[in-house]
Amino acid sequence: MQRVVVVGSGDGGTFTANLLASELRNEIHGGLASVQLVGEHLKHPFQPGNLDIAFKGASPDKYVKVETELLRKEVDFIHDPAVKIDFTARSVATVSGRTLNYDYLVIATGAVADPSKIPGLAEGAMNFHTGAKDSQRIWESLQSFKEGTVIVAIAGTPHKCPPSPNEAAFMLDDFFHKRGIRDRVKIKFLTPYPRPYPAEKISHVVEPLFMEKGIEVTTFFNVDSVDPSKRKIYSLEGEAFDYDLLIAVPPHHGADVIINSGLGDADGYIPTDKGTMKVKGQDGVYAIGDATDIPVSKSGVVAHLQSVVVAHNIVSEMTKSSDILEYNGRINCPMEVGPRRAIFVSATYTSPPSDQSPSMVKYYMKRSFAMIYWRALNGSLESIFDIFFGQTRFPAAKQQEGEKPLIVVKSSQRSDKAYA
Amino acid sequence: MSTIEQHKVVDSRGSFCPGPITDLFKAYRSSQLGDVIELLATDPAARADVTAWAQKSGNELVDIIDEQGYIRIVVKITKKRS
Repeated sequence: MQRVVVVGSGDGGTFTANLLASELRNEIHGGLASVQLVGEHLKHPFQPGNLDIAFKGASPDKYVKVETELLRKEVDFIHDPAVKIDFTARSVATVSGRTLNYDYLVIATGAVADPSKIPGLAEGAMNFHTGAKDSQRIWESLQSFKEGTVIVAIAGTPHKCPPSPNEAAFMLDDFFHKRGIRDRVKIKFLTPYPRPYPAEKISHVVEPLFMEKGIEVTTFFNVDSVDPSKRKIYSLEGEAFDYDLLIAVPPHHGADVIINSGLGDADGYIPTDKGTMKVKGQDGVYAIGDATDIPVSKSGVVAHLQSVVVAHNIVSEMTKSSDILEYNGRINCPMEVGPRRAIFVSATYTSPPSDQSPSMVKYYMKRSFAMIYWRALNGSLESIFDIFFGQTRFPAAKQQEGEKPLIVVKSSQRSDKAYA
Repeated sequence: MSTIEQHKVVDSRGSFCPGPITDLFKAYRSSQLGDVIELLATDPAARADVTAWAQKSGNELVDIIDEQGYIRIVVKITKKRS
């Protein structure tokens, strides 16, 4: 019996569990394998929807589904949060006291946005990174906002969805225009980076648009603290700005279960091989998505693409196959840059984002992703994604020789199945 | 009570923008006035980014040294809100 335990039921965990359940369905039905998904929440949110909730007044109900309805029937969903992972004992302990033993482990515990890390931030700022309810609070505040200064600040890096602070500024501009009070509102964007968007080519798109829309930018602003009583935000570098409404991306860290298990780096992120997605120094243990220390965007697309690699590699390990894949660092983050215009921040480990122009086509592609997300979780759109994303993974042994085309070996084509 | 100045080495080799500058900021956040941070980077953009940050923030750019295959950027923390 080969036991796979997936910890974390967000995008990456849910998709990995479904992929493994699909690949191993015969073995699961035959009692030779199991896939257990350990999750904290019964409801699964589409997290990018928080922007629409905060700045367009969308209903949170539109962006949530019941987790069990997203899972293949072969996945054993355990609604019982993990509290400890023990690599030595190869087990996962849950809050109710269960112990789940594993042969293969996938850590998909995500990142946690934590306003408490900056003095005054929780009291003085709102954000759309801690869930739909907090996003709704922003929308409610915007309704009564009549004039003054709105600051969008990045209060910690890395954070989920790198384009989201820029999108927030663009959406605020649009919102105040529609309300007819844009001339009475100053929008200010504070970033620790040297430019409005960290990648230079993307900044070439964002910066002139910010100027055109009168969105003021202050770079190299590392948030030190917020004084809610004075409505003032301070940087480590010594600058300070007054605000009437502060919307700040909180600092992030790894999940509590990772920190409490002593598995992460100083910020609670798991040291992970950026190609195979194996946790460094461990056998049969993988990590994906926001939970890792890999220097790529913390986003759902990344988790999704890494899930494919991890599911493939686990099946290869089970079958004693040398067919191991490596993720090539492909990111693809859509960014709305005004009414009905968007760009895609696309790159790999070796290719930075390139020049591009905002388009309506990209905008509608972004909007459509909110609808297809749910189907993407069951793997039924992979052939379309393979075309859209292009090369996202390579045979491990071949990568150093140059980027070779992907050769996908489906379970039905495998001749070397040897599940113990 | 006096504090002992720290010398920190931040190795960002292999990391691309915004990796090196982000790593520098992490070290800056936990540093004190007088501390020295050495940033090792393979990303050539780190040179301009750190220079611009030091100029704007008032921190001292002590040196930029071309090593074999990477650059060593030395910054002394002379400006930080306490």
